[in-house]
Amino acid sequence: MRFLKSSLAALVAGGIALSAAAAFAGEIRVGITMRMVSENGQRYGQMVMDEIDLINKAGGINGNTITATLLNDECKSDKGVANANKLIFQEKVHLLIGSTCSSVSLPIVDVTAKAGVPQLIPHSTNSTITQKNSAWVFRVPVAGRYYGGVNAKYVGENIGKKIAYICAADAASQGDCEKMQGQLKAQFGADPAYVAQVQEKEVDFRAHMQKIKGLNVDGIMVAALAETMARALVQSYEAGIGADVRRIGSSSASNAPVPKIAGDAVKGVFFSAAYSAADQRPIAKLFNEMVRARYGIHAPDHDFSQAYDLVRIMEQALKTTNLGLTSSSLAADRTAIRDAIAGVKNYQGLASGPISFCAAPTPQCRDGNRTAVLIAYTKGGEDFETEVLARVTMDENFGLN
Amino acid sequence: MLQVNKVEAGYGKLKILRGVTMTVPQGEIVTLLGGNGTGKSTMLKAVSGLIPVMSGNIIFDGVDISTMKPHERMRLGLVQVTQSKEAYPAMTVEENLMLGAYTRSDRASIAADLEKVYGFFPVLKERRKQLSATLSGGEVQMLVIGRGLMAGPKMLMLDEPSAAIAPKVVLEIFSNINKIAKSGVTILVVEQNVRMALILANYGYIIRDGVIMMEGKADSLISDPAVKESFLGGSVADTSKKLQSG
Amino acid sequence: MGFDFNSLLAFIIFGITIGVVYGIVALGISLIYSGLDIVHFAHGEMYMFGAFFGLVLVHDAGFPYPIALVGAMVLTALLGMFVERVFYRRLTRAGGGYTVAGMGMIICGFGMSVALVNVAYFIWGAEAEPFRANLDYIPRLEFGDGIQVPESYVLTAIISVVLMLALNYFLRYTKIGLAVRAVAHNKEIAYLMGINVPLMISLIFGLACARAAAAGVLIGPMQSVQVEMGYLMLMKAFAAAVVGGFGSLPGAIVGGIMVGIFENLGAAYISPSHKDIYAFLLLILVLSIRPSGLFGIEAKVKA
Ligand SMILES: Nc1ncnc2c1ncn2[C@@H]1O[C@H](COP(=O)(O)OP(=O)(O)OP(=O)(O)O)[C@@H](O)[C@H]1O
Ligand SMILES: [Mg+2]
Repeated sequence: MRFLKSSLAALVAGGIALSAAAAFAGEIRVGITMRMVSENGQRYGQMVMDEIDLINKAGGINGNTITATLLNDECKSDKGVANANKLIFQEKVHLLIGSTCSSVSLPIVDVTAKAGVPQLIPHSTNSTITQKNSAWVFRVPVAGRYYGGVNAKYVGENIGKKIAYICAADAASQGDCEKMQGQLKAQFGADPAYVAQVQEKEVDFRAHMQKIKGLNVDGIMVAALAETMARALVQSYEAGIGADVRRIGSSSASNAPVPKIAGDAVKGVFFSAAYSAADQRPIAKLFNEMVRARYGIHAPDHDFSQAYDLVRIMEQALKTTNLGLTSSSLAADRTAIRDAIAGVKNYQGLASGPISFCAAPTPQCRDGNRTAVLIAYTKGGEDFETEVLARVTMDENFGLN
Repeated sequence: MLQVNKVEAGYGKLKILRGVTMTVPQGEIVTLLGGNGTGKSTMLKAVSGLIPVMSGNIIFDGVDISTMKPHERMRLGLVQVTQSKEAYPAMTVEENLMLGAYTRSDRASIAADLEKVYGFFPVLKERRKQLSATLSGGEVQMLVIGRGLMAGPKMLMLDEPSAAIAPKVVLEIFSNINKIAKSGVTILVVEQNVRMALILANYGYIIRDGVIMMEGKADSLISDPAVKESFLGGSVADTSKKLQSG
Repeated sequence: MGFDFNSLLAFIIFGITIGVVYGIVALGISLIYSGLDIVHFAHGEMYMFGAFFGLVLVHDAGFPYPIALVGAMVLTALLGMFVERVFYRRLTRAGGGYTVAGMGMIICGFGMSVALVNVAYFIWGAEAEPFRANLDYIPRLEFGDGIQVPESYVLTAIISVVLMLALNYFLRYTKIGLAVRAVAHNKEIAYLMGINVPLMISLIFGLACARAAAAGVLIGPMQSVQVEMGYLMLMKAFAAAVVGGFGSLPGAIVGGIMVGIFENLGAAYISPSHKDIYAFLLLILVLSIRPSGLFGIEAKVKA
């Protein structure tokens, strides 16, 4: 027994020594947790890794290299939190990137706030993420509160005020649904014509569609994750609700599985997003081509563009830092990186609008992108097509009470 | 007709029969006697194929059937009626009987056999549209024997047809077994009712702990002091008379 | 505003149209149980494979939908028979007795479920696939005050009912059906009647899996096809089978329809966010009133 104890102790000591040795100076450790269940997810995960690789090949950050660890959270909050803990306490990362699902990013905010690790969010729209007032969180994408406002303005002015809602139970969709309803009420005094709360992965919408059909609504908002949304769209046509009733998507409508699964049912569906593949700017065209050539993706959605923008923002911020990169400087380095990201102003990339952060732990400072584009599908299937309906920038206080 | 040579068989690794040898000549009634748990049913299962033979062999009608599947043996004309007396409760009496003829396709001879069965057991004809779940114990025994007959067997193996049945009904059933044998079907009947069985049969085997401990002509067994002492008590002649008149 | 009877009627009708699909999957589960004493936990995966086979036959091989439906049923039946022959039979020891093998069989079912999901994942990946079927030739039905029932629901309901009736006819009025019922009731005696029991067991498995496949092909166009789709269906069908009385075939169908209606009403009038639990509420409710399910007493008899 005594022997066992002492050899265990030796093992543990050896392990600590080893991991300390592995964490040598000159290495900026970045941990990433994202949803990588779909083909799309795997590709943009790969893109982030590739871009980091390119930075290293071009000389790194002020002579230091970035070591990235990529984990899959499958859009499940328990996995995401476990990943975050592993990355922070085992890998001792300087910066955490993640996640791409609101329901995962939300609990991770608490983890990074407690551990004092900067968290850069590539894609999650739920407004609460930045309303927890953590000093460590930065949202690259457009927050749901802006989307809601943009959507509601467009819907109220161009489509009508009698809107039915299908709201799935995941955090992002719940947020999108509430914001849209709140905004239609605030801007136009309109109450929802019908609200159906459904499960995150609901498969059967027939009864709701029947009810909605009988209500003669102007539009249906489907707030759900990609596959669930696609099913709802298909079933709305099956129920005999005509194309004159506009379908409004939540932010996940931009994900490629939506047009792929919904097929023609996606035609006319519009949504607000942070990027459109139909964007005609040269930078966007170049990006589309790069993604097509490297990853075989027909048209990158905003998950891709935001992941790309995030890497650029990270690069820009890290270059302004002067890091110790020893095990004793870990906490100081993390703080320095946080402050550097807070200093990013007016970054112009692929996103719908400029991205800026500031030091205060408030949504005004930490929701980086305030501009949304309104995009509509003009063709479904794998080779889907979209058009830009409008581009709207909101006030930084918009949607906050 | 049936020849069982030094057969060993049992359940899984558990050996119950330890080298049983028996012969059932064509057209005769042979009985296998023994107390509870001595291996009688096991013997019938080994012959019908419900359990595999571990060693030894079984010859039926000149064919070695030791490794055949039960339904294959049955198609050779070797039919077993189990001790559990199970009819399919959700089927009518006639459906149950027709199930016995499952392997046959000649409608005319099936119909003829059905009439024959109704001839042996008129009560089945009366009940033929009834669900077999509603039959009495004795009637079910008649039904399962009838179902065995519907297969058109060369040899019928019966497992304790007298068990849990009123003496009067036992007499009726046994006299019918006698008639069935006379119609040309060889019979192997397992019994604990030793007296009745020995009166019915031509030849008898007595099994204990998986081995045959005694065999002989039925009338010599019936008067054997050892058999008399362990299995019989009371007058044989009395029962014999009843059987003939039943 | 008074109570809207029209939408109540709509919820009930849509409950029935999905319920019959639960019913045909439950029918397979019950058939396997009554025939083989196996609670087949991998049956949801048969449904999933059926959907994928249908998808491949329509999209990749270009067959019309009705042919793909039949093709998927045949392929899935073969898959089921293969799985039974190669894996389950070893556990239950053919000829030795398909008695309740207890935990071993249950674990084996779960294991098979996981294995089949992984095989499907390997072949088709994790993403949901759209299943587009051209159903324009099927009429829409209209009920009550303008409740239109879309063609695919009509088709689903009709085919499910046809499959149920066909199974009933087969079991009651054909010689092989008689043999299947005999095997379901008592394998030893079926053997002694000259019935090829192992063959009938394969047949039972094939029939049950073909029904699950039909459900998959019918549901595919509505819900898209994905490797994990089997789990939810298994849960619903299982609830349906238990509500109806495990092992009872009419019970499976009635149970399926009840689950369909109950969950639609629950979603409409209580809370739609937790729709999947209503099946189990119903299950608890029915079992507390009739512990053996609605048709439970006759369970074995019905097969
Ligand atoms: N399925 C089985 N598995 C294991 N052992 C068994 C099985 N069936 C019977 N046995 C055992 O085999 C032995 C012989 O049983 P068998 O049924 O042959 O007796 P039997 O002579 O027919 O008795 P009975 O007159 O009570 O019917 C018994 O000890 C019994 O416990
Ligand atoms: Mg016995």
